[in-house]
Amino acid sequence: MTVTKLRWTILIVSFFVLLMGGWIGINLGGFLPTYACPYVGGSRGGVCFLFRLQYLLGNGSPEAFIGLGKHILYFSLLVIIIGKAWCGWICPLGFFQDVLDLIRRKLHMGYIRFPERLRANLGCIKWIFFFIALLIPLWVAHPIFAPAVARDFSQPYCQLCPGKHILPLLLGDTNDVTVNFKSVTTIVMSMLGLIFSVSLIVGAFLKRRFWCSYCPMGLLLSWYRKISFIKLKKDCQKCTMCEACYNVCPLEIEQVFKERENEDVTFPDCTLCLRCVEYCPEDGALRATFLGKTIYRSTSKGFFARQRIIPLVPDD
Amino acid sequence: MTKETDQLQRRKARFVRGLANSAETMLAGLEENPELPEGMHYFIDIMRDIFVKDQEEHFSNPFCRQDANNRKIIGTYCLMVPEELIYAAGAIPVRLCGGSYEASSIGDEFVPRDTCPVVKASIGFTSLNLISLYQKCDVVIIPTTCDAKRKMGEELSKFTEVWMLEVPHVKESEGSRRQWLEQLYALKKNIEKLTGGRFVCGKIRRRELDSAIKMVGRAQYEARRLYEIRKSFPPVIPGREAMLAINAYSYDTAFEWAKAMTGLNDELEDRRDKGRVVAGSHAPRILLAGSPSIFPNWKIPSLLEEMGAVIVVDESCMGSRYLYDPVGITEKSMTDMMVGIAARYLMPCVCPSFAPNEDRLFRLLQMIEEFNVDGIIYHVLKGCIVYDFELIRVEKIMKEKNIPVLRIETDYSPEDIEQLRTRIEAFVEMLETKKKKIKEG
Ligand code: SF4
Ligand code: SF4
Ligand code: SF4
Ligand code: SF4
Ligand code: SF4
Repeated sequence: MTVTKLRWTILIVSFFVLLMGGWIGINLGGFLPTYACPYVGGSRGGVCFLFRLQYLLGNGSPEAFIGLGKHILYFSLLVIIIGKAWCGWICPLGFFQDVLDLIRRKLHMGYIRFPERLRANLGCIKWIFFFIALLIPLWVAHPIFAPAVARDFSQPYCQLCPGKHILPLLLGDTNDVTVNFKSVTTIVMSMLGLIFSVSLIVGAFLKRRFWCSYCPMGLLLSWYRKISFIKLKKDCQKCTMCEACYNVCPLEIEQVFKERENEDVTFPDCTLCLRCVEYCPEDGALRATFLGKTIYRSTSKGFFARQRIIPLVPDD
Repeated sequence: MTKETDQLQRRKARFVRGLANSAETMLAGLEENPELPEGMHYFIDIMRDIFVKDQEEHFSNPFCRQDANNRKIIGTYCLMVPEELIYAAGAIPVRLCGGSYEASSIGDEFVPRDTCPVVKASIGFTSLNLISLYQKCDVVIIPTTCDAKRKMGEELSKFTEVWMLEVPHVKESEGSRRQWLEQLYALKKNIEKLTGGRFVCGKIRRRELDSAIKMVGRAQYEARRLYEIRKSFPPVIPGREAMLAINAYSYDTAFEWAKAMTGLNDELEDRRDKGRVVAGSHAPRILLAGSPSIFPNWKIPSLLEEMGAVIVVDESCMGSRYLYDPVGITEKSMTDMMVGIAARYLMPCVCPSFAPNEDRLFRLLQMIEEFNVDGIIYHVLKGCIVYDFELIRVEKIMKEKNIPVLRIETDYSPEDIEQLRTRIEAFVEMLETKKKKIKEG
């Protein structure tokens, strides 16, 4: 089985487990480092970390404070084990984007690539989302000003998150795809949420893994990359700077091919999808390691097989 | 016939004879080897058709065969011209960088004295039509690589239609990569115009481009197999044979070449498994670096291997680097294929006309390790400033690795052969003693 096929299989299984597992009694906990969105209702098989994080921050009681500590601890353990592979291999919203991408590819349409400058500038969006998820709940808990407005700001990031609209919609639930007319705040927030969701759908169709560059969950996960067990490594001497790994990367990470000194090339945006390893034409130039042990490495043969130039051997 | 043209004709005939003779001597020399692999004959014959039999026997030459199909022939220089685009438009690429002493002495009249012989020979071939190949090209594409090639474009345009292809010299920056991609889109349009394909036939379409990428990819796969085979210890093929086989790609279509190469590789792998080697483990393993050796200028490879050394790898744009880097694509959209092609012809290329060109040093270090290299011959064609410039850096890193480097500056003329022989002999002997010493203690 190729890595791509394995990844698709795991993505599909995760999609069903996280969004429909509840029907068969699966509950993986409330601290999952992925978009296991509770808004899908009773069928959920686990709950997104950000949901409870905002809830606990917004609660303000001492118990919630202790709960917060535990919440972050469990989350961290999960992230340390497989790092951002949560994004490349598990996230339901990531899967949805990959499906849109697949449709685009089948239609033989090209993709859009942002210039590096623009990419760098847009990078701040995920920080904005992150601070919305972090600071607004605190304000809700301690409404030192405008308490009437604060009331409507519970779960602020969730109100904006495309997951909230798209994932339930995928299960046929349209209840979240509306504007909430309760107050001015809710109108604005739900409208923004709808706008983000539509941009995600259009964006992911034109640009590979469009949303992942702006996702605050991805940002949180990227902080663990130095200590997580899975890493992407490069042998700089073997690399020919052929740029293949950049062109195939859904996150358009340029640094992997430009790196000339360090072995560790797990950059913040990297979802560990391992496409770069699959498509690198040099033996052992790129590899993925788990606790320092190589679990997958690039090969010249594998490259030519994937280009359909020689037959694919079953074992890679 | 006026006296003048008569004279010219006679002069041309003299050069043609000279070229045929020197090419034939080289080829016959290769054929004398009793251990010559069966698969090598195909490549030797290509060279013979092009350089020796050209004037007499038109129909053996692969490009005369192609003429029958009425396909356009596009001449290319250097290795930055994307063949995939040419094949996809239904035309045939042929690489024209010249290696003939006779042609270079004709070229002498057109360019400054210090120009490198590759450029001199290319101009010589084109101006006097020493071989019919140059005349057959409908257009010639010249990338702006080193200074000599760039100015050559201007001179050649007196004789034939020339398209310049602007190669950025600082390849890392995003701007130059984007500019390069745009250049290739423009080139694609021009090729389509040439093949008459603004409407239906000749237009470069997705499917054709995809199969062109696969066809060239197939040739690259075989070239890489040969590369792997040359790593074997002791060696199973002399460098000059392997280099000739790769050089022959210039004059063949990717499809035919790949087929012949598959045969040669199968044969060599079989020999390797049976332990049928061409030199003992004591023979010094040489990396031939620097300016390209282009057939029939087989001066350095022959001298080296006559002395008992084996060229296990070279890094020239006519040798190992010619077909090494493949196009990587993941989808069949025009965008992705063009991006993949643009990347392949710019980024991994370590031609010294790029600056900075640190990558080349990484490549050389990797070769030293992979091929068990004992010493480096650094070939500098007279006038080739760019390769000569980088010698300093190469010498420095090789000193750290304790790999001796011998710089040899020469051109295509046979005059300095005896002097070169002495120097190369001394170098090879030095390597042999060094090797023995390491073995003993
Ligand atoms: S709306 Fe988004 S952030 Fe909130 S729980 Fe659902 S997936 Fe997580
Ligand atoms: S970055 Fe966000 S949307 Fe993308 S895969 Fe990761 S969690 Fe999912
Ligand atoms: S694909 Fe491999 S060889 Fe090419 S630039 Fe990336 S790491 Fe280097
Ligand atoms: S760098 Fe490699 S593993 Fe990371 S996202 Fe890009 S292609 Fe996937
Ligand atoms: S790189 Fe050197 S050998 Fe090649 S054309 Fe330029 S000057 Fe001549």
